[in-house]
Amino acid sequence: MEILNLLLQGFSISILPSNLAACTIGVLIGTLVGILPGIDTISTIALLLPFSYGMDSTAALIMFSGIYYGSKYGGSTTSILLNVPGEAAAVVTCLDGYPMAQKGRGGAALTVAALGSFVAGTIGVIGLTLFAPPLAQAALAFGPPEYFSLALVGLIILTKLAGTSMLKSTLMATIGVMLGTIGLDSMSGISRFTFGIDELNRGFDLSILAMGIFGIGEILTVLTESKDQSTIPSLRFRDLYPSREECRRSILPIFRGGMVGFLVGLLPGPAATISSFVSYALEKRCSKNPDQFGHGAIEGVAGPESANNSAISATMIPLLTLGLPFCGGTAILLSGFMIHGITPGPTLITQQPDLFWGLIASMYIGNILLLIINLPLISIFVQLLKTPLHILMPLVAVLTLTGAYSINNSVLDLFWIVFFGVIGFFLRQTNFEPAPLLIGIIVGPELERGLIQGLIISNGSIWGLFTRPLSGTILTLGVIFILYNITRSFRKFAHLGKEMNS
Amino acid sequence: MIVQKKSFMLLAVCLLFISIIIGGCSGMQSKTTADIPKYPNKPITLIVPFSAGGGADLLARALEKSAPKYLGQPLLVVNKPGATGTIGWNELAASNPDGYTLAISTVELIVQPLYGPTRYHYPTALDPILQISTSSWVMIVSADQPWQNVADVIQYGKDHPGELKFGHFGIGSLGHVVGETVAHVTGIPLQQVPFRGSSESTAALLGNHIDIAFANPLSVKEHIKNGTLRALAVSSDRRLIDPVLGQIPTFKEQGLDIVSNNWFGVVAPKDLPPEVKATLVKGFKAMMSDPEFKSNMDKFGVQIEYLDGKELETKWLNDTVTLTKAVEETGIINLIKDQKK
Repeated sequence: MEILNLLLQGFSISILPSNLAACTIGVLIGTLVGILPGIDTISTIALLLPFSYGMDSTAALIMFSGIYYGSKYGGSTTSILLNVPGEAAAVVTCLDGYPMAQKGRGGAALTVAALGSFVAGTIGVIGLTLFAPPLAQAALAFGPPEYFSLALVGLIILTKLAGTSMLKSTLMATIGVMLGTIGLDSMSGISRFTFGIDELNRGFDLSILAMGIFGIGEILTVLTESKDQSTIPSLRFRDLYPSREECRRSILPIFRGGMVGFLVGLLPGPAATISSFVSYALEKRCSKNPDQFGHGAIEGVAGPESANNSAISATMIPLLTLGLPFCGGTAILLSGFMIHGITPGPTLITQQPDLFWGLIASMYIGNILLLIINLPLISIFVQLLKTPLHILMPLVAVLTLTGAYSINNSVLDLFWIVFFGVIGFFLRQTNFEPAPLLIGIIVGPELERGLIQGLIISNGSIWGLFTRPLSGTILTLGVIFILYNITRSFRKFAHLGKEMNS
Repeated sequence: MIVQKKSFMLLAVCLLFISIIIGGCSGMQSKTTADIPKYPNKPITLIVPFSAGGGADLLARALEKSAPKYLGQPLLVVNKPGATGTIGWNELAASNPDGYTLAISTVELIVQPLYGPTRYHYPTALDPILQISTSSWVMIVSADQPWQNVADVIQYGKDHPGELKFGHFGIGSLGHVVGETVAHVTGIPLQQVPFRGSSESTAALLGNHIDIAFANPLSVKEHIKNGTLRALAVSSDRRLIDPVLGQIPTFKEQGLDIVSNNWFGVVAPKDLPPEVKATLVKGFKAMMSDPEFKSNMDKFGVQIEYLDGKELETKWLNDTVTLTKAVEETGIINLIKDQKK
């Protein structure tokens, strides 16, 4: 009950005209950041920091948070319509969103993505409201050995479920892990595979890779295909909205995605991207007809798009209650907070309740605003598809390159994005699915770090990683999963053999 | 027709967006010489060689906030993260000495060259403008631990050799150097656990996965205030001036000869025209006494401490000598060099 009072007090702060305006501006910019491929949340907030110096601190924080969570709404737009992800967290949405658009269900996919984002975003904020301090404590129970176990199990399960061919997926994931080792290694202080190029020390930015392989790769594919655009069915108004059947199939994935995303968001790492992969894998597992995945299954849009939004709300928990940013997005938010004289940490809730609850209340309002902004936009974006691709795609390419430059202000990144674009192009031509590569590059470094730190913590004994309760549980679950799959494939073989014999 | 209109609209929006971004970045490409009267007559680029959210970034943002008032031109903060600052400083060293490209300097500027050659050779390629603030590192333990001071930890380490593990923010970082120095000076073995920054090591400490952490005061101040973490010592030569951090005793007070400071300043490429340098020093110095800037620095837990360019250069050279000794004595330099083989 007390929380309700505090939250109401927060609402009274967040509906002040200046704060409401800040929230609206924030989510508008966030939507734009999400929609424009390549434009990155972190560099946008960094670019806008100077404009906030004149603002009231609460309003400024509401605005920056709005940009942060708002950016996950629009990311699906270009994924679904053009197969070019708006950002790394929307890569998974391409897998089923784009096939849906090709069947003329693009509008439906966008609507489901927006609704799912809203529901899951709100689930995330409710979680943040009710359980922030205890959840932050629970997240701390995860130490390096647990990260290692999670990364190991995650790498195996996600790789299996993100692709269609096990062999190709494994190969892609392995290459991803290898790419992840490039750069200055914080564990040993040495540069690996940089060939004396200083800029490679930074390693490959996740966004650069995702934008290159998926974005530029797709643009190149489109350029080389003389695809007749009339293959995209013309859209009638009612095609913009999901059918009853599609709605029914989306409800559970949205809630599951919301839950999974929230849990993933509590842990360090690029939570939004990881959560979308996890949710996709989960939906494929839960689905009665997993064969549909990759060919336009609505669950493959609803789940991941929901997961990345609730993950974003959850990443605010360690930031607000511990003062510790667990990902790049919250790190720049921390900068924004500090420059306005607010130090997030364990004392924030008690010492500045107005700010804390005002911010949380603004997140409820922001999610509603995002839904209001995004739903009408869908019909406009779907119309965009009528633009000839030879005009649209170069524009998207320019935007992607601009965004890529802004991430690290590095010209070398532009070469890399084109390089990975060419790689992505050839992967498509040879029917290799690049999604597991991304999993490899995200999870690989976490795996390595978790292993090294975990081994030091357990005094060099590998058993230390298995005997810790949490870590052991995770690994056991992973083993069960693998055994289950092996027995299933054996059974399949046996079945096949029987059929052959008879 | 409508579609065409829309695509033109889109084109216009895109072009606008691109021109804004290019406009924002144009400060870096400027190659005009300084003989244009009245410096500065356009925005000054300030390179932060670290990613957003850290101490160097915060200092740059605070400077950015008050620059128009004191320098007459805005500062454009550009984050060029990677390789512990090396990428940003390399770029600075290669830029025009016209006063329109500057960078934030931290102690890493002189630490990184110790482990291997960097492209910027700071004594010949960089020109220190001034030192703005100093900070140091704190030794923290979880509040669940019984230890009240460094002596308790040493005692525990002696009774339980090989058990204590400390976290720091990267191999070869100052957190690592200070931790190994504590081990070296006290003679107790401390096992180092590298993390990717203070926030990760703080999280591991809060979860009791490690016993000790060496972190920058900024990232742990709220936890010290809240009582979830206990600070046992600070590595500066005097206590910090801060209501919370000021209560932490120095290593020296506890009988250990460990002093290690971080300092933040502004550097330019070598051969800056003297009048440009004078304008910059005057402007930045005025900023340092701005009440808003001061209160920001207080909140960040850093001390405003002015040194002119000459003094800062001397400090670079002196610190290089002490740090060289520290990384050699603690074996860190061998650790890194062995792995480089």
